[in-house]
Amino acid sequence: MAFAGGGQNRSSARDSAPGPRFFFFALFSLALMYFDQKDGWGDHIRYGLQAAAYPIQVTVGSPGRLWSAATELFQTRDALRAENEALRKRERELALVAIRHEALEQENAALRGLKAGLPPLVSRSELIGVVNADLGRLRQRLIINKGDSSGLFRSQAVVDAAGLVGQLVRVGPWSAEVMLITDPEAAVPVEVVRSGVRSIAVGMGNAEELQMPYLPATADVKPGDLVVTSGLGGIFPAGVPVGEVTENRRDPDELLAHVSVRPRAELDRSRELMALWFNPGNPAAPVDRKLLETLPEPSVADPVIGQPGAAGPAAAQPAIKQPAAVPPPAAPPAGED
Amino acid sequence: MFAGRESALLVYVTALIALVLTLLPLPQLVSIVWPNLLVLVVLYWSTMAPQAGGMLLGFLAGLALDVLGGSQLGQHAFAMALLTYLALRLHLLTRAKPLFEQSIFVVIAIVVYEATLWAIDGFSSRDTGSWTRWMHIPIDAMLWPVVVGLLGRTHSVR
Repeated sequence: MAFAGGGQNRSSARDSAPGPRFFFFALFSLALMYFDQKDGWGDHIRYGLQAAAYPIQVTVGSPGRLWSAATELFQTRDALRAENEALRKRERELALVAIRHEALEQENAALRGLKAGLPPLVSRSELIGVVNADLGRLRQRLIINKGDSSGLFRSQAVVDAAGLVGQLVRVGPWSAEVMLITDPEAAVPVEVVRSGVRSIAVGMGNAEELQMPYLPATADVKPGDLVVTSGLGGIFPAGVPVGEVTENRRDPDELLAHVSVRPRAELDRSRELMALWFNPGNPAAPVDRKLLETLPEPSVADPVIGQPGAAGPAAAQPAIKQPAAVPPPAAPPAGED
Repeated sequence: MFAGRESALLVYVTALIALVLTLLPLPQLVSIVWPNLLVLVVLYWSTMAPQAGGMLLGFLAGLALDVLGGSQLGQHAFAMALLTYLALRLHLLTRAKPLFEQSIFVVIAIVVYEATLWAIDGFSSRDTGSWTRWMHIPIDAMLWPVVVGLLGRTHSVR
């Protein structure tokens, strides 16, 4: 690797002016970072760039797809037969569950006084594949292989076979970003099935754990309880399994309980997920967010509007005049029981 | 002049291949020691043919990593631009050295690159990862002679 004295190299040494160019690119990168943090223009730039980068994304994912196709091709007859048998068994079990479920749904509709059966909750679902995972302490996100072109939209609910996975936070033309329920920024309105206690489950940056930090120490929550979405908040439907309570630690000095929940969905292992569309006619569907926005602003005289059934300390408050600057008591789920 | 233009296409094609190889989804254990081939290729072209790719190559390579990896937009672009700048500034010094000594420069450059990413992660209060994020650097250094050998065949070095 001797010092080459050709004309090409001489001109390179003369022409290159990396200093000013680096200065320009560095400023440009810093501007990109700034706008990406601000959540404004960054999304538009990213959308365009993701469209441009789509062929590369497909190429990157192709060895994996090739591998699974090859293993499928060379599977033995016996293995296939065994798989078929297992699937058939599972289908029989599911069919039994479905029959029972249908009966329950009809009974439910009758109880609600509806003439016809309810429309199905899920009107459409789209199978999506995980391309990339970022499962750190401060970020729990997945990159998936479908986007705008498949009709996915921002804040859409994503589930896997076992339970709730998260919601879409960034949607590109052919890819999107899922914020897992365990992301530190994520919060899911939930309900404990056994006791009906409502609360909010927040992510801790650990794919194996959620916490319900706003439950009073007296709340009726036990290890083993199933936690499902409550359907409040306008993003997730009611009744999707979120996880199981693993621990309810009560500290006599503290007003709030320490409740941990282990997510049902295989957040760090699932390769295939489902994005869901809901039938607004079904009572379990998430409330239309536009409808929530049209609700009248809570006035000073009536700070608990929108929760007509709320009992307990909150219900006693309408009579008390509050200064306009003070918002109504926060954390509605904690005040509900 | 003509030779420079000819190798611009070559530069971007090899960088694209390296990008795909770098981003391959791999099992966790393999991905810890999986080399960052894109960085090596950018370093190679910045050192051996600085007029072909130049700063733009580094910036675009970093931007591609940002878009495809879902990291903060501009993070890898900034770090990669810094790496390219160092390589371009030092190319007359480094390419006259034996391969073993070049590997030392490679380690220094990639440490600067990774440290920049790490610092940006920290400043923007994201996860800064564990020690495993530095594990690919020795592998990169060991692969440098291979990259020089392979890419050296694609163009006339002198």
